[in-house]
Amino acid sequence: MLVKDYMTRHPLMAEPTMSIVEAQRYMGENNIRHLPVVGAGKRLLGLATRQTLLVEPGKLGSLDVWEIARTLSGLALEDVMTPAEDVITTGPDITIEEAARIMVENKIGCLPVLEEGVVVGIITEIDLLALMMEIMATRVPGVRVTVRMPNVAGELAKLVSAISAHGWGILACGGAPAPKEPDKWDTVVKIRNIPQAEIVAALGQVKGQEIVDVREV
Amino acid sequence: MTTDHRIQTPILKVENLAISYETRKGDVQAVRDVSFEINRGEAHGIVGESGCGKSTIAFGIVNFLGRNGKIVSGSILFQGQELRGREESELRRLRGDQIAMVYQDPMSALNPSLRIGEQMNEVLIIHRGMEKADADQKCVEMLKRVYMPDPEAVMVRYPHQLSGGQQQRVVIAMALLNNPALLIMDEPTTALDVTVEAAVLDLIGDLRRDFDTAIMYISHNLGVVARVSEKVGVMYAGEMVERASTEDIYLHPLHPYTQGLMRCVPKLGLSKESSYLYPIRGRVPSPANLPPGCVYEPRCDYARDVCRRKHPELHALSPGHFVRCHLVSEIAGAEWQPPEGVLPDLTARRTEAEPILRVSDLRTYYEQPSTSALSLFGLGEKRYVKAVDDVGFELPKGCTLGVVGESGCGKSTLAKTIVGLESPTGGKIEFMGFDISVPVKKRDLELIEELQMVFQNPDSTMNPSFSVGHQIGRPLKRFKTVPRDEVRGEVIRLLDAVKLSVDYYDRLPRQLSGGEKQRVGIARAFAARPELVLCDEPVSALDVSVQAAVLNLLLEIQREQGTTMLFIAHDLSVVRFFSDYVAVMYLGQICEYGPAEAIYAPPYHPYTEALLSAVPIPDPTVEQKHIRLSGAVPSALDPPSGCRFHTRCPRKIGEICETEAPPWREAGDGHRIFCHIPLEELRQMEAVVTVEG
Repeated sequence: MLVKDYMTRHPLMAEPTMSIVEAQRYMGENNIRHLPVVGAGKRLLGLATRQTLLVEPGKLGSLDVWEIARTLSGLALEDVMTPAEDVITTGPDITIEEAARIMVENKIGCLPVLEEGVVVGIITEIDLLALMMEIMATRVPGVRVTVRMPNVAGELAKLVSAISAHGWGILACGGAPAPKEPDKWDTVVKIRNIPQAEIVAALGQVKGQEIVDVREV
Repeated sequence: MTTDHRIQTPILKVENLAISYETRKGDVQAVRDVSFEINRGEAHGIVGESGCGKSTIAFGIVNFLGRNGKIVSGSILFQGQELRGREESELRRLRGDQIAMVYQDPMSALNPSLRIGEQMNEVLIIHRGMEKADADQKCVEMLKRVYMPDPEAVMVRYPHQLSGGQQQRVVIAMALLNNPALLIMDEPTTALDVTVEAAVLDLIGDLRRDFDTAIMYISHNLGVVARVSEKVGVMYAGEMVERASTEDIYLHPLHPYTQGLMRCVPKLGLSKESSYLYPIRGRVPSPANLPPGCVYEPRCDYARDVCRRKHPELHALSPGHFVRCHLVSEIAGAEWQPPEGVLPDLTARRTEAEPILRVSDLRTYYEQPSTSALSLFGLGEKRYVKAVDDVGFELPKGCTLGVVGESGCGKSTLAKTIVGLESPTGGKIEFMGFDISVPVKKRDLELIEELQMVFQNPDSTMNPSFSVGHQIGRPLKRFKTVPRDEVRGEVIRLLDAVKLSVDYYDRLPRQLSGGEKQRVGIARAFAARPELVLCDEPVSALDVSVQAAVLNLLLEIQREQGTTMLFIAHDLSVVRFFSDYVAVMYLGQICEYGPAEAIYAPPYHPYTEALLSAVPIPDPTVEQKHIRLSGAVPSALDPPSGCRFHTRCPRKIGEICETEAPPWREAGDGHRIFCHIPLEELRQMEAVVTVEG
């Protein structure tokens, strides 16, 4: 699960001379929110987002309609983009969670993926959310059980062996510290083709663990 | 993982594209109303015969149409941006960075005077401003990626020091260096051997998956397209007549042209019947002179009045399946019957007839000029290219022998030695009881008369300044087949036999199409009513629909005159349906010989097995074993010891293969296999080609 497996290769990109009016149209028509600006050899020069394309009123001399129109028509991407040195980027060989950390800590929506200064792809928050969906096997119906367990080693193994004792398969599995209970851990497992009642009966037997949520999804 | 959150914009979207060439007679519309789109990581095949406008579309996309070509209407959207009307400088950057092309002939894409490394790293140094050392390293990595053996060594070689398959790998590696979003491949494997082609096609599939590159794959070969693409567009006379997923195109072709194409491609299916070829009558109309209604109407078996009057539009029949035909709903349900008399009588005729040709221990060596100083005085050791080495077979009268093998296996040399264009180094050729192991100059005129040849390339074997009638008449006069005053009548009879009208008598070769020229070539070879005709790949240079017609014609005349035929082909699918015997050659030797049917089923020689598995089959239901030979055919100057195939053999059994020449294993009914593996084991091989389900 590395960035290179989930990024979009060959993203839509623009030249620095593209007017911002054109860029807005281009992003709108193709339904994208981030537009890497590249020069020769797909070298990253900057990044345009829908926000950078909004012109700050302070930059305008006046709010006169003609003034606005003139200013807008004269602006190109190179005037408004975030320049390359300020763009936070990543490489194709880092982990997905590391990419997520960079995006969360900087509160940004995308990371252009570079290899020696050349754009090879882009990864956005949507890519990460889509991956989360896949990790939880969202598209496949099954029973989703959340089990709260003590945050110590060996607890997950107990749960897994209870499931495998019945010969069931685990479709998806994930875990995180339980909210507001520092010594507990919540594990979500998804099981396919087994009635909910049977699963509840089986997992309810595991000592020291508690089913906090169960539902057919 | 589904990708529906990803960018939906296709990498390439072509809409209603029309391209014209300006000529002295006015504009010629080479491409009309073509639409298709290619998504990221998708391969889209474009198939059609020559002159259908396939390459013109590719050139239009990269604005490479030349001075007299222009895009008349329509749009080409690349990554959502219009390419039409862009400035040259912008387009140049785009082409270098995001669109790459691979052409048919790798040699003409490489600079012969620069080392591979120099031309490859130039891409990175110019486009990316990389340092030379870094660029070199990147190039080596990319060469590894395209499975180039020994990439560091290849970097310092010149293009001519590489084989055709390796050259094409270099070109593909070069195209991928800039990680293009779109790769346009124009017949990239047409110039390669089947075994090499199969490996290159595998490579293309891998690269598409790893780099998410969209591929536009142009080819005339339906089998090749079936192997690499997900969607296929069929072009005919500048129009796209059918577009659908690969499976739909091959299993349920709906346009009569697509159906016709399917029937005239050799298939290598399970039975002999499935490999019959049904030609399409007529020929592709010239773009300057199109029929008023449907462009395919003059050749269509279903044509009605409406087809002559109205031009059909491309309409969707089911989601993703587009057809340009008025009668498609009728055709869809109809069961096609081959028209009467299309096929010559193809019943196998392995008779107990006397062998007309007996070749034993035949060797043809070419002396290799030595670079040693001693050789100046005639003292150096002489080295020989052993083009044909120890070949022996017998060919009964009236039968057809198919000879197959990769290029460089000595097939053509064998034919040339028999016909007398090369003199044998050793061995014996006996023809009709006469020893003909002498060059053609020393043979009697009567013998020459009985032994004729049809060449691969009809263009280069006809004198461009003599009329057709003169060329066919020449052997008649020379061999005095008919009295002088009857020559003209006889030529007309021959023209008629090859289905050309009297009008062709006074035409010059340049006024004929490729298929017509080859017909003249056949008429000329059969003019003196020879006993034996040697055909050296007579149809490889022709379009598929013409190929079928020429093959059927050749067979018809052969059957009529009772001629014996030796037929050379580079792949096993072509010779299947009409050969009585097949010989598979490898590096100057025959490695398997037997009745045609026996060759296509186990036991196989390991080389035959690999050849069969490499043939692209235009039928997704056919399961084919995956065997790929590594490397190229070794040099015949210094053939491997023991079994010559041991260096590439996937079934090598041990040291014995390297040290001892294998024995002939007799599999019965004249079927012989030249291999160390015991016959019982060879018999247990699985069939290469099976039908699913």
